[in-house]
Amino acid sequence: MQLLARFLTLCWFVGLAACEPAPPDLPVNDRLGGDFTLTDQDGRPWGLGDARGRVVILFFGYTHCPDICPATLARVAQVQRHLREQGAAGAVQPVFITFDPQRDTAQHLKAYLPWFKADIIGLTGSDADIRAVAQRYGVVFLKSGAADRYDFTHSDFIYLLDAQGRVRKLYPADFNIDEVVNDVQTLL
Amino acid sequence: MMFKHFSESLSALALLALASTAHAGEVTVSGAWLRAVPPVSPTMAGYFELNNDSDSAVTLNGASADFAGMAMLHGTETKADGQRSMTHVDAVTLKPGESVTFAPGGKHLMLMKLSTVPPSGEVRDICLTFTDHDDLCVPFQVRHNDPNR
Repeated sequence: MQLLARFLTLCWFVGLAACEPAPPDLPVNDRLGGDFTLTDQDGRPWGLGDARGRVVILFFGYTHCPDICPATLARVAQVQRHLREQGAAGAVQPVFITFDPQRDTAQHLKAYLPWFKADIIGLTGSDADIRAVAQRYGVVFLKSGAADRYDFTHSDFIYLLDAQGRVRKLYPADFNIDEVVNDVQTLL
Repeated sequence: MMFKHFSESLSALALLALASTAHAGEVTVSGAWLRAVPPVSPTMAGYFELNNDSDSAVTLNGASADFAGMAMLHGTETKADGQRSMTHVDAVTLKPGESVTFAPGGKHLMLMKLSTVPPSGEVRDICLTFTDHDDLCVPFQVRHNDPNR
């Protein structure tokens, strides 16, 4: 009882925030993920290892998708804006991998991505290389439609990777921006 | 006297007709917006709510816009395992009193073959087309975010 009284007194003096329990560590998901190298929007090889020391927000999509993909990109950009306001944007690297290398060439990604103002790395490559990376992250995608007008059925999770490149959390495409910002903070 | 009764009856009938016209509402579109996308985007998505307050069914079967070479009604379906796919929606029929919402992650208007990509803040008219109703041409505002979230 005396101990509790002392604790409460300490809280009073130090400030209540200091006495709140620390957020729990995000568990490492060792069933998904791993290193990979694809081609970035400058046409150069880019590997996950290039982001060591930075938290990575990784997601897949394609730029011809009008509904979910631009919305996800815009939400990731909002996360970056929040982190920039907190002085932490440099510690986080958003990475977008296309399912659609035929239309999403390095040149197209270079023209498309800067509009979001989030320093997003855009990655493309051969069909086989992209499929291999997707499989590592448990991402499924299936092309359908005509040769000149096709779409993809795909899973659309967003992956939070820590500074060692390990998967720490998955989010749905319509993730809560504050949740991701808070989770990123726990990994910095 | 007889003429007076006749005149009163006519007035009553006219009022009744007026009242029924006022009661039968219209087909209306509200909350129309387009998601802002980069200028090199090949497609844009449009969202809106369509309300049928008229006294007959209407069938939405497409759309047109002067800056899009093609416009289609699409649906995004989510499977149990989280995979999403886009499907072409041929038509949406609304009975009297029904409404339908085109929203992100669900039904949406897909604009393709864009001659220009209107930037955020601009307002562009898009005409919704029906099999049994005149076109409804309404302003869609280009926005970064869903105004309903």
